[in-house]
Amino acid sequence: MKNTAKSIDSGRRGFLIAGAGMTAMLAWPPGRAGAADFPSGPIEVVTHAGLGGGTDTTARMLLIRTRRNLKVDAVVNPKTGGGGRVAMSYVKNRPADGHTVMAITPTHLFTMAQGRAPLGIDDIKGVVRSTDDPIVVMVRGDSPLRTMEDLVAAGKQTPIKWGTTQIGGVDHVAAATFGKEAGTQIAVVPFEGGGEIVTNLMGGNIQAAGLNVTEAKDQLERGDFRALVSLTEKRMRSLPDTPSAGEKGVNAFFSTVRGIVVLNDVPEERVQILEAAMLKAMKHKTYQGYLTGNGLDADSIAGAEVWDRQIRRMYADARRALLDLGMVKQ
Amino acid sequence: MALTGAAAVWASFQDVQFLALVLAATLTGILVGALPGLSSSMATALLLPFTIYLQPIEAIAVLSALYCAGTFGGSITAILINAPGAPPAAATAFDGYPMAKNGEAGRALGMAAVASSLGGIFSLITLILAAPALAKIAYAFGPPEYFALAVFGLSMLASISGEMAVKNLIGGALGVLISTIGVDLTTGVERFTFGSPHLYEGVHFIPVLIGLFAMTELYEQAGKHKPNYERIRLSAMRLPSRADFRRVWATILRSSGIGTFVGILPAEGGTVAAMIGYNEAKRWSPNKQNFGKGEIEGVAGPEAANNAATGGAMVPTLALGIPGSATAAVILGGLQMHGLRPGPYLFEEQPALLYAIFAAMLLANVAFLALGLVGAKGFSRVSLIPRQFLWPSVFVLCLIGAYGLRHSMADVWIMMVAGVVGVFLRRHGFSPAPIVMGLVLGKLLENSFAQSMIIFDHAAAGFLQRPIALLFFALALCGLFFTPTVRLLRAIFSKSNPGKRS
Repeated sequence: MKNTAKSIDSGRRGFLIAGAGMTAMLAWPPGRAGAADFPSGPIEVVTHAGLGGGTDTTARMLLIRTRRNLKVDAVVNPKTGGGGRVAMSYVKNRPADGHTVMAITPTHLFTMAQGRAPLGIDDIKGVVRSTDDPIVVMVRGDSPLRTMEDLVAAGKQTPIKWGTTQIGGVDHVAAATFGKEAGTQIAVVPFEGGGEIVTNLMGGNIQAAGLNVTEAKDQLERGDFRALVSLTEKRMRSLPDTPSAGEKGVNAFFSTVRGIVVLNDVPEERVQILEAAMLKAMKHKTYQGYLTGNGLDADSIAGAEVWDRQIRRMYADARRALLDLGMVKQ
Repeated sequence: MALTGAAAVWASFQDVQFLALVLAATLTGILVGALPGLSSSMATALLLPFTIYLQPIEAIAVLSALYCAGTFGGSITAILINAPGAPPAAATAFDGYPMAKNGEAGRALGMAAVASSLGGIFSLITLILAAPALAKIAYAFGPPEYFALAVFGLSMLASISGEMAVKNLIGGALGVLISTIGVDLTTGVERFTFGSPHLYEGVHFIPVLIGLFAMTELYEQAGKHKPNYERIRLSAMRLPSRADFRRVWATILRSSGIGTFVGILPAEGGTVAAMIGYNEAKRWSPNKQNFGKGEIEGVAGPEAANNAATGGAMVPTLALGIPGSATAAVILGGLQMHGLRPGPYLFEEQPALLYAIFAAMLLANVAFLALGLVGAKGFSRVSLIPRQFLWPSVFVLCLIGAYGLRHSMADVWIMMVAGVVGVFLRRHGFSPAPIVMGLVLGKLLENSFAQSMIIFDHAAAGFLQRPIALLFFALALCGLFFTPTVRLLRAIFSKSNPGKRS
């Protein structure tokens, strides 16, 4: 098979690494059913964020090896705006042939849950998860709140000032759900981004925050911040001493995830081809190096089954929480 | 600390790619600055999307070098053809052009280059000392302090640019109004989006800035006949003589201080600094009567001040994320585009960045002196580029600049609309910088207020317990009411002493 696709935007980094002399790449197992006609052209990954951000970088890192595995070119097409709505309406109008895939984040699921997205949760299905960065409840290192129980008790007296991002987004819903499930009061203070939350937690303007480990890696290592509980079912490999919400019996599991989805009408065997190629790409040391460089580990990667179940659960959680908060109507 | 800094700066100079990029940026800056109608704010905004292909540190270094050189470049055409290449050089024309007419073009240009360079270097030293110190205090800056700072920044629109005070405030308010478009951070409610997903994340200031600065100028130029500049012949640029130095050293020092200080103030940039620098040079000069007729101190004063403002403006931009001028706002946009968040963490996480910016600006300040000495004659000829080639190229850059930021056609339309609106605003005496400042500071103003109120349990009295916030509120009040109060007192005073007028 010859690579007939023109290189539209191979990305500088991808180009350099791909050209760095890695030869002898395996080919597709020949004679596999349904593989002959797909993919027949370049794969287009639609993102919702600008160039150079986390979503863009993750997609590009994923594509470095995916290109080789699929033997076609693959490009990132940023369609920014509307909390993923611009990207979603673009994907909706593309043929469901598997050549167009979408990189999603909780933002997309929450926009769907708010009922203002052009796509519903049943219009998409998961292919692979590329990063999984759980939300961890943190306080300042010298805070009198030493455990999750301290925080819950203190919040029963006066609401905990808790830094989040955008109201109606994953951080806010995580905080609200945690408050409800743990039986405490939370006063949400929204900020523009994780960096701002870190500065304000450091400066003592807020008492607690739900942050990703990647956002506060240095602060945790230096002891500036203390992790009280991770909003995961089981303990995180990167935080072995921090209890999980699951073991504390608090039913609040939230994570900043990224992954690839396609339209629901894309034939199942094509989804499998994409899944296999992308999983293989992410197991390669190029992508693994990217993950560890960002404080994540191999647990980030998951196949279609796990990922599809996760996005559906996150959607359902978001929907329920937004209903509770009165931010959407039935 | 100082030693590692010096070593870091020295290391930057040995990086060939870094050197080449900064020198190219300096050259571009001088050319763009020398072109009447094209300013450094515009140039940085138009080139911003192209910097995505550079490493973050290189990108910010390029933009900073462009800023310095563009500010100097304006003086070349101000002196030679009495058309300031950029607004900060407007005051330079007052005495620079008369000097050129008296056959002293080389002397005036030499002084402009040296004063610019010295002013720039003075402010850089302030930057390297003040920014990390300010960043340390910035840990104490929570939402209440940022709210007070934003109020202070907006009040500056009224205080310094004297007669334009009311119109500047109106412009600032318009910018704040535009900043409310999009989803609100603290309620999650969409405002003024008319259901369009393209407005959901709000109006970014870069397309507005390109529209207001570049497109407006383009529309204006389209309606003009070819301006007939009287061109002064230039033999060669001369370094100032020792006698000239003795005459101007105090002015350069004073203007460097003024420029740095004005630059640090949020929202006030080189144009204001140059005006104050010129006025103060005149006030303290023994040759007052010579001003306006070709006084060399009248060239040194504004030129030292406007370049000193570049380093000054970078101080709050890097340490607090509050832009010190319109161009600094673009550089702030550049930092954000490369995923760098200005503020205290910038210096901890990216210590190399500050030194790279310092190295780039230092290099630019020295390089434009050298380039100016060699090529002033050539640079002055950029104003001869036929307009039918120049402005269409600018138009293309405007389109790419607006699109490239977020890959959104909506931003292109916003840029075009801002350009048309800008034409009308300009005809009615509004300047674009306050609008951009309002737009940049508006979100901060609103969000930090809402955050503060949650932190204070919805009791506004909480602001009274924050000394830093109170200080900025007091400064804002002074800024707003100082000029009117002085004017009022003067009116009362002159009424009681009729006949005694100066």
